[in-house]
Amino acid sequence: MTASALTRPGERDRLVIKIGQIDWTFCFLVCLIAGMGGLMLYSIAKASWEPWAMKHMTRFGLCMALLLVLALVDVRVWFASAYPVYAVAFLLLLAVPFVGEVSLGARRWLNLHFVRIQPSEIMKIGLVLALARFYHGLSAAEAKLSWKLLVPAAMILVPVGLVAKQPDLGTAILLAATGGAVMILAGLSMRLVAVGGLGAVVAVPPFVLFVMHGYQRDRILTFLHPEQNPSGAGYHILQSKIALGSGGLLGKGFGLGSQSQLNFLPEKHTDFIFATLAEEFGFVGCFTILALFAAVILIALRTASLSHSHFGRLAASGVISTFALYVFINAAMVMGLAPVVGVPMPLLSYGGTVMITVMVGFGLIQSVRVHRYTEVTSGKGALV
Amino acid sequence: MSSEPHIFFNEVNERQGVFHRRALMAGGLTALGVLGLSGRLMELQLVENNRYKLLSASNQYNYRLVPPPRGRVLDRNGVELASNRPTFRLLVSRDEVGGNVDETLDEVSKVISIPADKRKQLIRDFTQAGRYVPVVVAEDLSWDEFARVNARLPELPGVTPDMGEVRVYNFGGAFAHVVGYVSKVSETDLQHAAEDEDQLLLHHPGFRIGKQGVEKSLDVMLRGKSGGQKVEVDARGRVVHKDPGGDVKPTAGKDVVLTLDADIQNRALEVFGEESGAAVVMDCRNGDVLCMLSAPSFDPNSFVKGVGGKEYAALTGYDHKPLFNKALTATYPPGSTFKTMVALAALENGYDPNIVHVCNRAWPWGGRVWHCDESHGAQNLHGAIATSCDIYFYQCALSLGPNKIAAVAREFGLGEIFDLGIPGQKPGLVPDTDYKKRTFKKDPVWHPGETPSMGIGQGYLHLNPMQLAVQAARLANGNKAIQPRLIHSIGGVLQPRNETAPDLPFKRENIDFVRSAMAAVTSGNGTAARVANLGLGSILMAGKTGTAQGRNYAGGRGVHGTNGAWELRDHAWFIAFAPSDNPRYALSVLVEHGGFGAGAAAPRAREIMRVTLLKDPEIRAMIEKPLPMPAFPQTDPNSPAEGAAPPLPTDANGNPVADPMPL
Repeated sequence: MTASALTRPGERDRLVIKIGQIDWTFCFLVCLIAGMGGLMLYSIAKASWEPWAMKHMTRFGLCMALLLVLALVDVRVWFASAYPVYAVAFLLLLAVPFVGEVSLGARRWLNLHFVRIQPSEIMKIGLVLALARFYHGLSAAEAKLSWKLLVPAAMILVPVGLVAKQPDLGTAILLAATGGAVMILAGLSMRLVAVGGLGAVVAVPPFVLFVMHGYQRDRILTFLHPEQNPSGAGYHILQSKIALGSGGLLGKGFGLGSQSQLNFLPEKHTDFIFATLAEEFGFVGCFTILALFAAVILIALRTASLSHSHFGRLAASGVISTFALYVFINAAMVMGLAPVVGVPMPLLSYGGTVMITVMVGFGLIQSVRVHRYTEVTSGKGALV
Repeated sequence: MSSEPHIFFNEVNERQGVFHRRALMAGGLTALGVLGLSGRLMELQLVENNRYKLLSASNQYNYRLVPPPRGRVLDRNGVELASNRPTFRLLVSRDEVGGNVDETLDEVSKVISIPADKRKQLIRDFTQAGRYVPVVVAEDLSWDEFARVNARLPELPGVTPDMGEVRVYNFGGAFAHVVGYVSKVSETDLQHAAEDEDQLLLHHPGFRIGKQGVEKSLDVMLRGKSGGQKVEVDARGRVVHKDPGGDVKPTAGKDVVLTLDADIQNRALEVFGEESGAAVVMDCRNGDVLCMLSAPSFDPNSFVKGVGGKEYAALTGYDHKPLFNKALTATYPPGSTFKTMVALAALENGYDPNIVHVCNRAWPWGGRVWHCDESHGAQNLHGAIATSCDIYFYQCALSLGPNKIAAVAREFGLGEIFDLGIPGQKPGLVPDTDYKKRTFKKDPVWHPGETPSMGIGQGYLHLNPMQLAVQAARLANGNKAIQPRLIHSIGGVLQPRNETAPDLPFKRENIDFVRSAMAAVTSGNGTAARVANLGLGSILMAGKTGTAQGRNYAGGRGVHGTNGAWELRDHAWFIAFAPSDNPRYALSVLVEHGGFGAGAAAPRAREIMRVTLLKDPEIRAMIEKPLPMPAFPQTDPNSPAEGAAPPLPTDANGNPVADPMPL
């Protein structure tokens, strides 16, 4: 790729040049996925734009605009705001147990009167930014194995603990995994990764038995033996598998998925929308959407690799890690390969919060791309 | 090292290199993940597709049971004795009204009235029924009410109008004992029907099972086979769509045709009035039972809905026993009707019918005095039957002994259970010396003093009205031991009739002797001379009266005639056949505690026989003289019309009367 204009400091600050540098293929793929989501939401509302499809598409449109705006924000601004965003998210998370609103048995929301926010979502961006910011000032050797790594470890584990306490196991896992991914991408010793992985495997059974809430434990046990309780806790998994399996190669046809149309499939418009898609469009549809997701992930990883700044690399790859984790955890859950944790399918599932998080993240990725030659020199985050 | 990290070029490259390698790894992992997920998708969607398709279909589709229409019960002329009528009802399920049962009932009662006690019952039903099980809020709505509800349906969420079928017995009580009735399925019924095919049908809330009579004995054939309505349901089991293409049509139950004639049966019920008793009419040529009535009766329709406690208590508490089929289940001493059997036994055993005994109202024998109604004077066998002289038959019976009489009686179906196809027959008893030996261990000897009682149809003898009708029919037939036949056809398949009936092992002249004596009963100075006059011109009825002692006059103070308490009176019998010269129909009539046979039973028998004869087109032709031909006004109006001038068009059929069934 020749990017002569971009390499000239004066030229690359011009808006027209910047807009030209946005990855439009990426944006197009994202639009395709979200459009598919809108289509499915239209279908399961029995061929109606209400109550989901219209809102979903409107939100996506607004978020797309936000993405484009954020793509033009100088990467040094992102760099400078990294710690502040993390700090704000952290404070809000601390506040949740005291002033948060209870919804569906968990205290996750903060009501700021003009808007209700979920601090854990801000934390998803904040954590990635803060980690990238921290690693930006670390040498390869230090990133591999040093006492300094206790700082990112703490940066990850404290908010994870807070979120898990809400309780929101899905987001906690997501945060922990995202943090871990950034650490690995930054060059963490693979031996340590292996030991950590082993430790995690060993730690799971006691965690499940002694730390988890009853309903969370039920979900795990149900995942292991779904047939034991087909109408109770195993219902979700069983119905989801029926929806998937009955789709076959080409699916039952748009609007003809009996599992979702007749409400056998629970949470068909949110967490289980992939099963709806699988039922109506079959293996071909599923594979297409998975390929789209893979394309988005791979393009984002390449975008990260293109960046000249370590901050840019880690921020972009961190964000796409979150996205990839969403996709894989949700798909595995729907296919009965993972326990039911409340993780939606990004861009497909109905729901504004995750959409904003993901699209802000994509904005960051595009910003990294647009500003890939921008030097981020100071460990202190000076703009120039 | 300073606090500001010195980032050297090689170090920058190293960090970048590590990142590139790790990013490449991440890309590889992503591809691996997608491949893994695709593999799982292939497993679910391609390999196990059929299995999940089935599971999905069983989620989506359900078959709602459609009960089959129950087979009808028809009389010999195709008149519906039991059929089905549509019923309109309203169903409400608790789930669909969101638990607002009270509100819904308020709304419904704005359209149709719901009495306060019914409402209380409904609330109880709602709490007992499952969340999704619909409760019948109103049943048997008129078309007007049903239409009104349908029009307001948008204002009545959760209320489902429904059309079903309910059994109806068109003649009320007339056929209640023969046809029986259907009622709600009980636990016992379920146990008995555990082997039946269509178990689901048994559990359908609208299904009713046969409890009595034909409805019970032919229940399985009347039921038919239930169908299915293919419906699409949502996760809560509510019907979203109907799929008429996938419906399985129910197979209607088989129609059962009886040999009964509704007109005769209705007339029989009519003539019994308030009295208790039974009447059985048979075609003596082929055994068809034209009438089998037990009186008083009850309305089987109230059993279909579920008879109320009060009504049921009244039915069971009434001493006339309306629930009982007296034609089959109740046995009584036959009284003097049995003298026909004694006389035939005597003739068969070489007894000279011209032997004369003198009746002085009293006859001392065996250390006691035997009585008669009146002083008949000197009579031979023929006269003794006509006047029903007890003193003659005491002596006649003594000359035979019990075994010879019993042997003849059994040839006439007395003490026998017939293959009628409905339950409830009691065999009664025709005693002989063996019977005494078997039954009375302390006193196994037949005492000579027991024979005179048997000779006048008392003592151990007790029989049911069906058996007496068969006796009369075999006497009237004269040749064949015909069997009674009640079920004409099931689902169009004719049931066997008396083609292979064995011959009666008696000399024809002896039977003719008894028959002529029975003709004398209804003429001259016979016991039923006036009361048995049919009033049908030359068509006459022959018969025999019976007045059977229900209670011992000495001990229980039984009462002769119609004096005294009802339950102490004698039973009145009449057996008869007509036309007496060429018999076609035979009957038996029992009036329980009716007093004299000639007073209570014979007049009723006459009315029943009249209608029976008038229903026979050939007999009718003989009674209704043809109009005189205009060209020959001098035609003798008294000569019978047979083979003469063309009769009225209605009488024109020259079909043999052997099977007058139009079916």
